[in-house]
Amino acid sequence: MKRTPQDCPSRLPENTAVKQQQLPACRLQLSATGILSGFFATGVFCLGMGVILILSAKSSMEIEINYTKICASCAKLRENARNFDKECTCSIPFHLTQTMRGNVYMYYKLYGFYQNLHGYLLSRSNSQLLGTDVKDVETCAPFSKSHDGTPIAPCGAIANSLFNDTIILSYKLNSSVHIQVPMLRSGITWWTDKYIKFRNPSSSNLSSAFAGTTKPPSWPKPVYELDENDPGNNGFLNDDFIVWMRTAAFPTFKKLYRRLSRTQHFIEGLPAGNYSFNVSYNFPVTRFQGEKSVVLSTLTWSGGHSLFLGLAYTVTGAMTWLAAFSMMAVHLKLKGKRFSPDDKVKL
Amino acid sequence: MKYIKPFISEIPWKYSWYYSAMSLFESQSENRQSGEPERCLQANNREFNTLFGYPNNTIKTSKYNVLNFLPLNLFEQFQRLANAYFLILLFLQLIPQISSLAWYTTVIPLMVVLSITAVKDAIDDLKRHQNDNQVNNRSVLVLTNGRMKEDKWMNIQVGDIVKVENNQSVTADMLLLSSSEPYSLTYIETAELDGETNLKVKQAISVTSDMENNLKLLSAFDGEVRCESPNNKLDKFAGILTYKGKNYILDHDKLLLRGCVIRNTDWCYGLVIYTGPDTKLMQNCGKSTFKRTHIDHLMNVLVLWIFLFLGSMCFILAVGHGIWENKKGYYFQNFLPWKEYVSSSVVSAILMFWSYFIILNTVVPISLYVSVEIIRLGNSYYINWDRKMFYAPKNTPAQARTTTLNEELGQVKYVFSDKTGTLTQNIMIFKKCSINGTLYGDVYDKNGQRVEVSEKTEKVDFSYNKLADPKFSFYDKTLVEAVKRGDGRVHLFFLSLSLCHTVMSEEKVEGELVYQAQSPDEGALVTAARNFGFAFRSRTSETITVVEMGETKVYQLLAILDFDNVRKRMSVIVRTPEDRVMLFCKGADTIVCQLLHPSCRSLGDVTMEHLDDFAIEGLRTLMVAYRELDNAFFQAWSKKHSEVCLSLEDRENKISNVSEEIEKDLMLLGATAIEDKLQDGVLETIITLNKAKIKMWTLTGDKQETAVNIAYACNIFEDEMDEIFIVEGKDDETIWQELRSARAKMKPESLLESDPVNSYLTMKPKMPFKIPEEVPNGNYGLVINGYSLAYALEGNLELELLRTACMCKAVICCRMTPLQKAQVVELVKRYKKVVTLAIGDGANDVSMIKAAHIGIGISGQEGMQAMLNSDYAFCQFHYLRRLLLVHGRWSYNRMCKFLSYFFYKNFVFTLVHFWYAFFSGFSAQTVYDTWFITFYNLVYTSLPVLGLSLFDQDVNETWSLRFPELYEPGQHNLYFNKKEFIALETTYWTMISHFFIWGSLGFYFCVLFFLYSDGLCLMFPNVFQFLGVARNILKLPQLWLSLVLSVVLCMLPVIGYQFLKPLFWPVSVDKVIDRIHHCMRHPLPPPIRTKVKHASSRRSAYAFSHKQGFGALITSGKTMKGKPKKSSLLKK
Repeated sequence: MKRTPQDCPSRLPENTAVKQQQLPACRLQLSATGILSGFFATGVFCLGMGVILILSAKSSMEIEINYTKICASCAKLRENARNFDKECTCSIPFHLTQTMRGNVYMYYKLYGFYQNLHGYLLSRSNSQLLGTDVKDVETCAPFSKSHDGTPIAPCGAIANSLFNDTIILSYKLNSSVHIQVPMLRSGITWWTDKYIKFRNPSSSNLSSAFAGTTKPPSWPKPVYELDENDPGNNGFLNDDFIVWMRTAAFPTFKKLYRRLSRTQHFIEGLPAGNYSFNVSYNFPVTRFQGEKSVVLSTLTWSGGHSLFLGLAYTVTGAMTWLAAFSMMAVHLKLKGKRFSPDDKVKL
Repeated sequence: MKYIKPFISEIPWKYSWYYSAMSLFESQSENRQSGEPERCLQANNREFNTLFGYPNNTIKTSKYNVLNFLPLNLFEQFQRLANAYFLILLFLQLIPQISSLAWYTTVIPLMVVLSITAVKDAIDDLKRHQNDNQVNNRSVLVLTNGRMKEDKWMNIQVGDIVKVENNQSVTADMLLLSSSEPYSLTYIETAELDGETNLKVKQAISVTSDMENNLKLLSAFDGEVRCESPNNKLDKFAGILTYKGKNYILDHDKLLLRGCVIRNTDWCYGLVIYTGPDTKLMQNCGKSTFKRTHIDHLMNVLVLWIFLFLGSMCFILAVGHGIWENKKGYYFQNFLPWKEYVSSSVVSAILMFWSYFIILNTVVPISLYVSVEIIRLGNSYYINWDRKMFYAPKNTPAQARTTTLNEELGQVKYVFSDKTGTLTQNIMIFKKCSINGTLYGDVYDKNGQRVEVSEKTEKVDFSYNKLADPKFSFYDKTLVEAVKRGDGRVHLFFLSLSLCHTVMSEEKVEGELVYQAQSPDEGALVTAARNFGFAFRSRTSETITVVEMGETKVYQLLAILDFDNVRKRMSVIVRTPEDRVMLFCKGADTIVCQLLHPSCRSLGDVTMEHLDDFAIEGLRTLMVAYRELDNAFFQAWSKKHSEVCLSLEDRENKISNVSEEIEKDLMLLGATAIEDKLQDGVLETIITLNKAKIKMWTLTGDKQETAVNIAYACNIFEDEMDEIFIVEGKDDETIWQELRSARAKMKPESLLESDPVNSYLTMKPKMPFKIPEEVPNGNYGLVINGYSLAYALEGNLELELLRTACMCKAVICCRMTPLQKAQVVELVKRYKKVVTLAIGDGANDVSMIKAAHIGIGISGQEGMQAMLNSDYAFCQFHYLRRLLLVHGRWSYNRMCKFLSYFFYKNFVFTLVHFWYAFFSGFSAQTVYDTWFITFYNLVYTSLPVLGLSLFDQDVNETWSLRFPELYEPGQHNLYFNKKEFIALETTYWTMISHFFIWGSLGFYFCVLFFLYSDGLCLMFPNVFQFLGVARNILKLPQLWLSLVLSVVLCMLPVIGYQFLKPLFWPVSVDKVIDRIHHCMRHPLPPPIRTKVKHASSRRSAYAFSHKQGFGALITSGKTMKGKPKKSSLLKK
């Protein structure tokens, strides 16, 4: 009655690497020298990288001029929404001590403007911006329709709050001649935004394409009249509009506004001298204690003028070296203790 | 594994007290049973029986059917905290005012998790369905309208008469009516249930057995049975059969239980009593208590803490939002007006609380439980797959029967081990004997020097004896010579061994005897007699046939005075062919000595000396004696004896008194010595476990001396121990004194009032508390016997006992009842914050196996009850070493790494949102896009974590076995606790790990480009709105530079910490790992040799491992009308 092993097949488990937990593997084993040399190598790398990044950042130039206070009177005017149709300009002179060589970019920078609020971010209609359905404003609350129920184009809080200051940079060639610095307003967006994500509704002309919609409440002009000089830069394809619609992650941000057209006097870049920004002040920020400034900057391969990454690398490198040295010291000092003679006997 | 749970059809005496003690607990479960107070049924009367609405014989072990699967399974799954949380979350997300994440971020992970579990449950249940169907559709012969008809099992009803044939399974619990065998004996095998392969015998009552296989009589049978309602007591059945106006008492000896297989019986008829769910088998398979591990508990606590943490984060953010809205948001309304339902910043803040509750959900590990299950399953499979835990002779691999306890294997601090069958093989070998003052069994070389018996030693040639068992080996030629010489005493000695026993023999092939013995001791003795030329061949209820030196002799069996625990001896009275009446007795020396005739005194002294020698070698001994009886005296005694046998009151006592009258003035023949063989590798295993600081407690039912002897033999007690304390007090006071004085020696300061434990105890904390580890000043051992333990486990003494015992390195508890075994385990479990493991092989270990955190069953000699109740099962004790030190350690380390990794990744992921809240006006804006949140846990990060926790090995198995010290961190739960989340490192990079990690990373980028692709965005512009982000961002050097910097910043501190930690705060493990690294670089030192110690001069004892035999059964045939057609009762 007792079953002999021959009766049933052997239940010996298979001899595979997985089942026997014998998978070939490289075991991570760090010796003291390995770790220390790794630390030193990392330190060298970080320091080197840091120096390169700092040098590169230093080679770029950046000028930032905060015009919130300078244009205080305009700011005051804009605090009252009823003055929306009153023009207010403000001129900010400044001196450029050094020539800014190469491509110069002009940014506007906002402080304390929350483009990252959840409700704000949701309030846009991508399908409307794609031009497929201009009247699709479903996701745009609270700026989806005007009081009379006409859908707004472009709808939503983001579009409604479009930055609408006009900034013109002029160069004082000599004491009497001021010339406007030529600036390009094209090529300041992502290619994918300009050519895929944003489309105007198809129609013979733009104003008829947007028929049946109304402008956002804060806008002075409808979307198809954003750029009076360049008919191609209107509707949803307006570069400034596209830049604004790519929302910033932090409440302090700068957005590309114009880039220098390198012609005539400016082939080399912006020559040193006296300049002024002529700002047509429309965008109110003082109500929410925000600030505005305008930034001129050149770029390098590693980005702009910001030293952050370079400094971070340098500090990391330095810390790594410091740690490596102290670890080496500790290791040399305590190593003797660990391998006491008794232990070796036990081995 | 089928639906089988413990099943014990015959409870040997050894366990009977346990079951009576257990009945206390069971009485509660009995109350649960249906209102049916008593079962009443009539044979062959379906109309009558249907009145009671008994269920039919269908069994259903499956949980679900097609209709209720979904609701039931979902209901069960949502009882889990994390799942329920996600359901609530889902509802919250549906509220537009607070929804801050798209609905699919929770639905998709939840669906995946739920469906994985559901599929697993469904597969399990499908298997059960198939099993049920297969069982329910088996066919059986039923008596209908006077003839036998085949029917399916499920159609059997209470009251049916069923015919079961040889080698068929019993259909339902039924009353045995008659069988093909004499006296309606029926042999059953319970192997399918409890793994015991020896046959058990059931017997029908005479009134029904007369019906035999006469169908007319059977269909006319209209007996009425009244019996107890269905219950789960396997060893109990009480009922009354009323037939033809007479009442017959029924007990469990007459009941065939479902699940048994009929053997050696051509056919038998049974009256179905309990069907389907009412059968004892089904009543017994039910709620098995789930064991939870410490990590499980810790995980639940952590999840709760995480909830609290989540709540407080949300609160902080909500307050922040309120303030922000007040200061900034209010003035920002030109650009983003408040929603119409937001009347003030307070309302907004309250809503924001819930929004953040949704966003930060990733901190609650939804896939935690599923992942933990997968990991445990994987690690359990490793145990099943381990070739080094496969026992070829039995063709049995190790088996992880529970998949939820793996990591606890790496934390064991106390091992409670049974002795018999666990440490020892429970194989008895006839080693030596002393006959008439001469010692046989030692082997001497030519120079007269004693030599050790080894493989090479020449065995005694038994070829002169045709009936000899070829497996039997003996080395001392002088004994055979004495037998051949015809030494009368030697002959009488072996004759008594071949007569005085309750072994049954089987002779399938002429000359090939197979003995069925209740205890292996007895088998060994009878086999020895057989080889020396006194072969017990067969027995009937009245005769014993012995082949004496080739000559067949039939002895008339007059009486068997069976063994029991008090008498510690057994005797048979036979009439020899020469018409002499002889009594042969064997028993414990202490008892038999007192019964000897005064003339044997000098022989007794010599024999006692020999017994001492045997004891020193750790052999189990019995004394053998005989007495020739006067015929008249015997007749008188016999009359008295049979009267007593029939008496109803106090029968056992009376029988033992009568027996004493005849068992006296015995003539001493000699003594036997049997070796209780240790299992392979026990010694090495225990040495290793000792080194791993695992405390070994031996809990045994055996006598103190035997237990201590075995303890020394397998190094549980060492000769170098400072002292062994023995507690054997018989009342509270003495035991208290003994325990205190032991403690005074081990750690005198622990008796002072200033001792922290004492001062803590005097405060009488009401909460359950844990006693910390107390370190004694040396190596001590403790021996306590069951009698004292009964007192020590009470009231105040239990703490004394625990504190004393836990200071000792090893503890031996002997004469333990199974219940006490469980109590001891419970005691340690209750007051010590440690993991306990119980290992045993017998039914008496079941309680302790169930009580301990981890129960291990050895599938060995004593059947499989232990194994069926265990969490892990294997064949050899020494696999324990591998299970704990290799599998346990890895599982623990892996689980810890997994949990740290898991919580780490969830926290990192979520805390980013907390940080970002301070920059986004606390507006519940997420940093990541919703799809990333959806896939993060599920797709991007699950495989690397799983890979780590399934394949990681910090040191390989060779080292963890060589350096048991590596085991210690687990015992103190160092790697994962509330204080510390260990630093992460994958130390074992297999191809699979590489594949998982780099694959996941690669997959991330693929998904990224897919989700941010033109096509998807153009199709669903409002869902996939991140068109072009990947392309434009990934080409920026700043991104890659920041990435490199982040990796460096994350890695360096961890590596530095790992480097410095062993230098500043060395733990013993670090030293060991150092050594291992050292060894890897240098040639291996030779493995540590363990010397097998020889027993020193320890006075030991005369053990008697013996269960109650078949005595009663053998003689029971006498009182019945025998069937003449077969003369040999048990010769099958």
